[in-house]
Amino acid sequence: MQRLRPLSALLLVTASGLVAAQPLTEEEDLAQAYGDKNFVSIATGTRQLLSKAPSSATVITAETIANMGARTVSQALEAVPGLHVSRNNLQNIYTPTYGMRGILTGTSPQVLMMVNGIPRTSVYLGNPDEQMVELPVDNIARIEVIRGPGSAIYGADAFAGTINIITKTADDIDGTSIAGGGGSFDSWDTWFQHGGRHGDLDVAAYFKVGSTDGQRRIIRHDAIGRSGPVNVGYDSVDGQLDIGYGNFRWRTSYTLRRDVGTGVGIFGALDPTGKIRSERLSSDLSWSDANFARDFSLTLQAAFMHLANEVTTPLVVIPGGVDPTFPDGMIGDPSKWERQARFSATGVYSGFATHRIRLGLGHDNLEIYKTRENKNFTLLPPPSQLPMYRASGANLFLSPHERRVNYFYLQDEWNFAPDWTLTGGIRRDLYSDFGGTTNPRLALVWEARHDLTVKLMYGSAFRAPSFVELYATGNPLIMGNPNLRPEKIDTLEAAVTWQVNRDLQTSLSLFQHKITDIISQIGDTYRNGGKQKGHGGELEVNWAATDNLRLTGHYAYQKNTDETTDHDAGYAPHHQLYARADWRFGSGWMLSGQVNRVADRKRAWGDTRPALPDYTSTDLTLRSIRPRQGWDFSLSVYNLFNADIREPSRADSGIIYDLPLPGRSFWLQARYNL
Amino acid sequence: MKLLFFRILAVISLVVASFSTHAEVKHIAVIYAEGDDPAQQHFTGPLQSIDQFSGIEILYLALDDPDDPLLVNSSLLLAQRKAIIKLATAGGSIGPIAVFYPDIGEPYRSVFSKIIEGIEENADAKVTRYAIGNNFNAETVSSELKQRDIRVIIALGRNGLHAASALDKNIVVVAGGIVSVPASDERSSTILSLAPDPALLFAKLKSLAPKTQRVHVVFDPRQNAWLIKLAREAARSQGLELLTYEAGDLKNAAAIYNSIFANADPRHDALWLPQDSTTVDESVVLPLVLQESWARGIPVFSSNVAHVKRGALFALYPDNIELGRNLVASAVGLASGNPDVRGVLPLRNVLTAFNTRTASHLGLTPSPAQKRSFSLLFPEQ
Repeated sequence: MQRLRPLSALLLVTASGLVAAQPLTEEEDLAQAYGDKNFVSIATGTRQLLSKAPSSATVITAETIANMGARTVSQALEAVPGLHVSRNNLQNIYTPTYGMRGILTGTSPQVLMMVNGIPRTSVYLGNPDEQMVELPVDNIARIEVIRGPGSAIYGADAFAGTINIITKTADDIDGTSIAGGGGSFDSWDTWFQHGGRHGDLDVAAYFKVGSTDGQRRIIRHDAIGRSGPVNVGYDSVDGQLDIGYGNFRWRTSYTLRRDVGTGVGIFGALDPTGKIRSERLSSDLSWSDANFARDFSLTLQAAFMHLANEVTTPLVVIPGGVDPTFPDGMIGDPSKWERQARFSATGVYSGFATHRIRLGLGHDNLEIYKTRENKNFTLLPPPSQLPMYRASGANLFLSPHERRVNYFYLQDEWNFAPDWTLTGGIRRDLYSDFGGTTNPRLALVWEARHDLTVKLMYGSAFRAPSFVELYATGNPLIMGNPNLRPEKIDTLEAAVTWQVNRDLQTSLSLFQHKITDIISQIGDTYRNGGKQKGHGGELEVNWAATDNLRLTGHYAYQKNTDETTDHDAGYAPHHQLYARADWRFGSGWMLSGQVNRVADRKRAWGDTRPALPDYTSTDLTLRSIRPRQGWDFSLSVYNLFNADIREPSRADSGIIYDLPLPGRSFWLQARYNL
Repeated sequence: MKLLFFRILAVISLVVASFSTHAEVKHIAVIYAEGDDPAQQHFTGPLQSIDQFSGIEILYLALDDPDDPLLVNSSLLLAQRKAIIKLATAGGSIGPIAVFYPDIGEPYRSVFSKIIEGIEENADAKVTRYAIGNNFNAETVSSELKQRDIRVIIALGRNGLHAASALDKNIVVVAGGIVSVPASDERSSTILSLAPDPALLFAKLKSLAPKTQRVHVVFDPRQNAWLIKLAREAARSQGLELLTYEAGDLKNAAAIYNSIFANADPRHDALWLPQDSTTVDESVVLPLVLQESWARGIPVFSSNVAHVKRGALFALYPDNIELGRNLVASAVGLASGNPDVRGVLPLRNVLTAFNTRTASHLGLTPSPAQKRSFSLLFPEQ
């Protein structure tokens, strides 16, 4: 009888008597088939995917991205709980870096970024992009972000977290659009997008060109005591082609950034003349048969990538007249060419009643096959000025190297009792340079009630040493160390998701991690040795306040301690508070506002500067939501109140007042759907 | 090719309509020219789903010449089997079509955009769109329709149907995109409702939870009497016992749900939530029904896709483009004077949403083939 109470209570609630149903409005009538306004776009959209393993995950859909007014992946990612986007402070070139759960380093190689499940990682520094690539979002269907370790499935660098960018297919686009936009900092871009079925082919195509001068905020004090504006402008070309034919899918992507500025300069000395070109071409062919054999699905994939990061106008590392050893300054054009081939097979067997088994194996060939450096100095003893020359041997910053990786993994999702699932997975990676590593993952999921899910998860993950850390030459003060081992992390997580009622969902994740074998520069080379521990959590709330107003928000906390110094690990915010309101009004308009509070960023050990000031950024976006054909507009104001936003520089960079980010800025975009 | 496709769909629509009103039809012959053979793939899907009804057999007759004796022989063959022969014909142009749709904002606007996309794909003549807002003027539109020689209207949504009802009675109106039809607008002849066909719902239930023997449903007869009538027949053909409970208000409905859960047998019972604004209250009844169904292990399936996200086992929901195509086929049937396509018809162009978490809790494991057929899976993570 106990269980009858709720419905009995309902009888009391409704005992006052109810009149016969009132005539329904158009929307109320439709809601009976398609769900309310917050749901109908799901019911008219395309198929969703199930997750590969239990985790603390956030999915940012194309609609959310549009509501936020985000133009780049890094802008969109700032809305993910436990993730903060900072800027490269190893080379000071303003490339976005991704700090997750307090793990934030100079180039953030501890986060794995993938596009359609294929790593974007360059082996040079171990991060997705060395240069200011800032991927556009127009052709992105969704971004899946997993906090915590993912090496048991994804391998290297799924360490602090994993970002998987899923591009749009013909189904997602379903039509043809052209668009153009312009805004602050002399920025403009224009793009074309098409998706449709042509004969037996599903075709999705996207092409974009653009340019920006970039923000020009002033560095008050660079490494040599000068002041001047940052240099973050670039020209861009992006193209993507996705063709599906039966079980086959072929995807090709092209990214070019030209005349890329050098931020504050790779040595921390402002360099307004240096220019870089980054060109990436990637292509993958996959074959997938969901019914390859009885209860067995199989996917085979081959992926290729070519990346050229070339200095087109030599970098002035230090200008003339500053260092008596180099009276003409230090000028160089270090460039590198990288290629990667990845082959994989993945199978899922679901023939057992209570088990679902995923297994995979693969081979990766990752190679920097060419490097080039013309320069007017040598750092080999004795350091001296020279006429411009083509460096070679020990004088060159890096010689070509190759890495081969073989791996296999196995995961079992075991539904061992009603409402209880235990997922166990293990992956073994064999690297040609540093040897093997094995990473397990265990997740216990309890569907406690119809509206409550509880997860307990453990996982270990690794970060592969980058080629710079392994093989750098040219500077006797920072030499590569070929004996490095990967960094390791062990993470324990607990998560609860509670659907409070129809309109309110909330979730809480708590984590604790321990990092060992941290690679850092010790003396004149890189060594394993650092240790770090951290804990924290993320609280998320998603509330459909009314049919036309949705509120989302989160609070994230982390505390990470460098165990070698017993000091805060620095750089990342301890507290982050984010809220967004999406208000639909009139006939086809959406006004969204988001507020992001970044607080309590301590300095790392040895940095005596005062703590980085907290900031609150506020963005507003107004956009039209039109039917398939016709014009659509979007107007965004970023950093509405002109907050002074700064990301941390390193103490030894000499950039005392950190890396300033843009003040108030605008973007207006128009799009015509044919 | 487009015309052929259009004709084939018209045939299928007529066949479906014949079936729904003439239970004695046992054989359906689809006659097509051999030259059109490649187009067969366009109609085999819908025909196969018709074929699944017990007692229905579909015969495909490919003719290279319409005067071929094969037609005669086949007819004889059917006659020998004591089949009643009805000929459903399609073809000929019904001229330009007007589509009336409600002038509402997103996100519901996309629903109509997709349906219209299906209409345009399937129509062989010009399709003119009329967004129906507050300023709809029946006289002006009537004269415009005359000018354009439009005699067929596809009316979408309540506003679309209401506007079409105000026009000249000689104009053929086929309506769609509506769950409940206001009595005042029922003049219209053919309405393809957004209420999923109970036959499809029950077939899906049987395939996902084969042990189910009884289905409970609480409904308001003012809204769903017509659908429950169909449901009774559908349940019978699936070997299910349908227990129906009438409720005129929420209080009554709650009491009935209470007693259903008190007496339900988790091994053999299931609960169906129809589109009923009286008995399926979103904010009070639904959370408690879902909570009880979880606690007692009773599968709940729904005619509203959003309920799956909240914990219902599955729902069928509209495939908008297919619905658009079907509306054209119905319009052709109606314009050709076929009386069998009149009345309110349940939705047969459906997609499936499925909740894996609920299935797992109920101990149900869909086959890989079933999994592939789901268009939406919940929970999202």
